[in-house]
Amino acid sequence: MKPDENCIIRTEGISRVYSSGGVSVKAIDNISFEVMHGDFIMITGRNGSGKSTLLHQLALLDLPDVGEIFIEGEKTTHLSEKKRMDFRLNRLGYIFQEYALIAELTALENVMLPAMMLESSKVAKKRAKVMLTKIGLHNKFNRLPSQLSGGEQQKVAIARALINHPKIIFADEPTANLDTTASVDVLEIFKSLNDKEGITIVMITHEPEELVYANRIIQLSDGKII
Amino acid sequence: MMRQLKLPFYLAFQYIRRGRKWTLFLTIFLMTAAFVNLIFLPSLFNGIIDGANKQIINTLTGDIYITPNNGQDYINNVSYVLDQLRTIDGVDALSAKMSVPANLKYNNITLSRQILAINPNDEKNVSNISQKMISGSYLSSGDRDQIIIGKQIAGGNGVEENAISFKGAKVGDKVTLILNGKPRQFNIKGIFDTKFVQSDERAFITNEALQKIMPSANNKATTINIRINQDTNQNAVINSINQKNINGTVYKWQEAAGVMKSVSNSFLSINIILSFTSVLIAAVTIIIIIYVTIINKRKEIGILRAIGIKPYIIVFSYVILSAVYATAGIIIGTILFFAIIMPYFQIHPFVLPICNAVLVLGWSDYIIRLEAIIWVSIFAGFIPAVIVTRTKMLNAILGK
Repeated sequence: MKPDENCIIRTEGISRVYSSGGVSVKAIDNISFEVMHGDFIMITGRNGSGKSTLLHQLALLDLPDVGEIFIEGEKTTHLSEKKRMDFRLNRLGYIFQEYALIAELTALENVMLPAMMLESSKVAKKRAKVMLTKIGLHNKFNRLPSQLSGGEQQKVAIARALINHPKIIFADEPTANLDTTASVDVLEIFKSLNDKEGITIVMITHEPEELVYANRIIQLSDGKII
Repeated sequence: MMRQLKLPFYLAFQYIRRGRKWTLFLTIFLMTAAFVNLIFLPSLFNGIIDGANKQIINTLTGDIYITPNNGQDYINNVSYVLDQLRTIDGVDALSAKMSVPANLKYNNITLSRQILAINPNDEKNVSNISQKMISGSYLSSGDRDQIIIGKQIAGGNGVEENAISFKGAKVGDKVTLILNGKPRQFNIKGIFDTKFVQSDERAFITNEALQKIMPSANNKATTINIRINQDTNQNAVINSINQKNINGTVYKWQEAAGVMKSVSNSFLSINIILSFTSVLIAAVTIIIIIYVTIINKRKEIGILRAIGIKPYIIVFSYVILSAVYATAGIIIGTILFFAIIMPYFQIHPFVLPICNAVLVLGWSDYIIRLEAIIWVSIFAGFIPAVIVTRTKMLNAILGK
């Protein structure tokens, strides 16, 4: 089958098995699907259904045992760790459930960090300021993560994920630790990025009310798409 | 690439600036302790060796000494020899000594000791005996019936060789000097304590006093001790002396070191072993500190990798961090050592039978140990950082 030119991510029969205490567990099992440019996809399912494992494979944080993943038509499963790292730096953004900010760096410095791999610190700083302003943290540049609320920390994490202008954002339950207002703020940012900038978003959620933001929902159960 | 190389410095700087202050303080404290430990022991051994050497020079031999040629008992025509030696560049002071074996009797105690006949003024310029009087006073020219004795001859409570001494002779007491069977009474004019047992087992009288008992000793010596200018080369002076064809054999002070030479060599060996052990202890300490720091930042390192920060940048940032810890430890350790520890032991030296030892640290010893700490810290930062950056990224992030 000829791949659709509008397809940004394509998986072909990916599986991942984890061993724990001598027992093998198939976290995801023979998953094939496509994500189109500009999609806002929500992955949902019960705990242990394989959502995070699938997102880790798609974001190149882990490798499937079997199957292939293509991003923008490029086969990624054979890439070296160095190339996968370049891929993550230049083309993908990842948002962790628990914000995953560097405790010793301010909001601005956290956001600057990935950009400093590609630009001078002066340019990185300028871009980080623009990014933080864009998501409503213009007055929190110099706050350390410990001085920010959960919602603000997640916004910083979003700004950090966006700093190198990725085409795809992966978010692993980004609202799980946030109150309703902060959750709505974060989802509205995603919606805006998706609508106005055409950034493809693949997000995991447990909350049924958040599914309305997605244009497509992938439901997982026991490592399979149902 | 150059742009990326700034990042490790940036990260290391922010870790230090915004990391836990107590952790920073304790880490630097441990580094300081490791460095001070590394320089303290060699300084002590150097101090003992240096102290013992100075004792030999200052109380026994001078910088150079001349003895009679083989087969001869004396250096004859000493006044001429001394005149010849005074013409040599770099010679600061000279003292001719006549050493005679004699019995010294005090109350019912008789000791066999070497008695040294000297010109007190000349000896004052070559040895420091005159500055080491703990009781009474030093000899004067013209003293005929005065003797000064070392602490080990006088004896008394707390004296190392009290059992084979006069067990408490005091200034003003009479002692009988028996030379070639002829007794002659002397007053103890002074007691000296150089803190060097070998030196404090001797007694001094003036040349005039000896000549009264032994007229044949006139214008003869068994040793000539020479002090040279500190900027003068010892070998050059020895060559000049040899060119004068004087009737004696010339030696460097080092050749009189005797048992101290073996002691010094043993100290040097112990010093090397202990230095190696200290470096090892410092290395293990630094590795543990950095390893614990890095293990605590395992998740953070995983996140850095996940957002695209290359492992070499992360590793380099921890190498810089370790080097900064080490440098801070070295700076504080150096200030502590030179401003507090060294002056303290200058005032309260280690009391040993060979000398009162102070701490002596040569620049080369200091630099070698400084380099050792820096290299060890770089290694200590590098290895754990490499281990952590090679663990599976997800395991690091998820804390598995």
